Amino acid sequence: MRIGHARAYLLAALCFVATGFAAHAQSSQPAGNTTPQSVADVFHEAESKYMFGFIDGADIGNEGEKAIEYEATGSFQKRGGRYSAIEHELEFEHVLTQNFAYELSAHGIQHSISGVEGLDDRNSAQFSGASAKLRYLIIGRGPGSPIGLTVSAEPEWSRIDGTDGTQVQAYASEFRIVADTELITNRLYAALNLIYEPEVAKPADTGMWERSSSVGLGAGLTYRITPTFAMGVAAEYDRAYDGLRLQTFNGHALFVGPTLQINFTGKVLLAAAFMAQVAGHAVDDPRPLDLTNFEQYRANLKLEFEF
Amino acid sequence: MKRLLINRCGLGISALTLALFVLVPVVRAEDAVTVNISIKDHRFQPAELHAPAGKPIVIVVKNLDPAPAEFESNMLRVEKVVTGGGTISLRIRPLDPGRYRFFDDFHQETQGYLVVQ
Repeated sequence: MRIGHARAYLLAALCFVATGFAAHAQSSQPAGNTTPQSVADVFHEAESKYMFGFIDGADIGNEGEKAIEYEATGSFQKRGGRYSAIEHELEFEHVLTQNFAYELSAHGIQHSISGVEGLDDRNSAQFSGASAKLRYLIIGRGPGSPIGLTVSAEPEWSRIDGTDGTQVQAYASEFRIVADTELITNRLYAALNLIYEPEVAKPADTGMWERSSSVGLGAGLTYRITPTFAMGVAAEYDRAYDGLRLQTFNGHALFVGPTLQINFTGKVLLAAAFMAQVAGHAVDDPRPLDLTNFEQYRANLKLEFEF
Repeated sequence: MKRLLINRCGLGISALTLALFVLVPVVRAEDAVTVNISIKDHRFQPAELHAPAGKPIVIVVKNLDPAPAEFESNMLRVEKVVTGGGTISLRIRPLDPGRYRFFDDFHQETQGYLVVQ
């Protein structure tokens, strides 16, 4: 079994275990109040920020909220051999006002690469950089608006190349326009993201600055099965370019996969997502899928502790 | 020279990112409407507050219980701990008409509504 598949199955298993925990948490609620409750009494408003996996929700949190978060994002399988790159982030998050929140993150990355076309073999774990994420809520979902709208920017400095694990000096920033809505109040949520990420990087081996960029369009649909447990599906279409202004097209890929969110308590949240590349194409490569600019599978896990 | 230009380009991206968030719309100074609420025996009193639409609101929360509470609302987008016997005030942006639920995050059955008309 390929390691990429093994990790994918591991994530799926984790999701099932977490689902079991959620179901248990739900069934073990105190039965002190035996009065039947309507759905509206049970399902109150929920924060959409992490509901859609790789796709952001428009909520930014409540003013005064502070949280510590662990996030792991894995990329698995390239062309041939075995490939995995798992980025670990430790984040501090603070909602400064009712419209603005920021995150500060430290990153580490693990690479396990063997026999992959175009990449050197590598087994390493390194401190890889730092980033900040700034979110500004333009329109809050609520009585005045069925749609939430947020813009975000995530400037990042990296000392390790995320794809091949080599040393690099890189600066990038991911910009998102995020919109979401409730298709069924407090139960069924939908989100849309527009993504643009320019990057300048100087690999240590060439010493030459390189400019690249990518754009993406993402959509997610999530249903709250219980007040503390939500599942959904998300899709993201990405295009990769040379040049900061999308000058030379390099390839594109469409990812689709499931998402999951569990609120263990009001202060502890777990969100997980998995995506597989289902279509794509790299320039100058007649083979299906773009495994030059993108991975075949991606997975994300977030664990947030609010305080 | 090229390296300098690209470094500047990287700096430009960062500057643009920061500028987006520094250029926050200036909020007009308006007289806020103050509403008062207490927490007693893990219940909000009154359980329903009223405030006019389109004006900033200050909610003053007095905790008459010895145990701490956390006034929280996802709709109002605020959360703040109020110690046992303590008082806090929360400034809320001007709101559209509607019912805004709030609750005590330490005792989630404790809830109330701000009705904006």
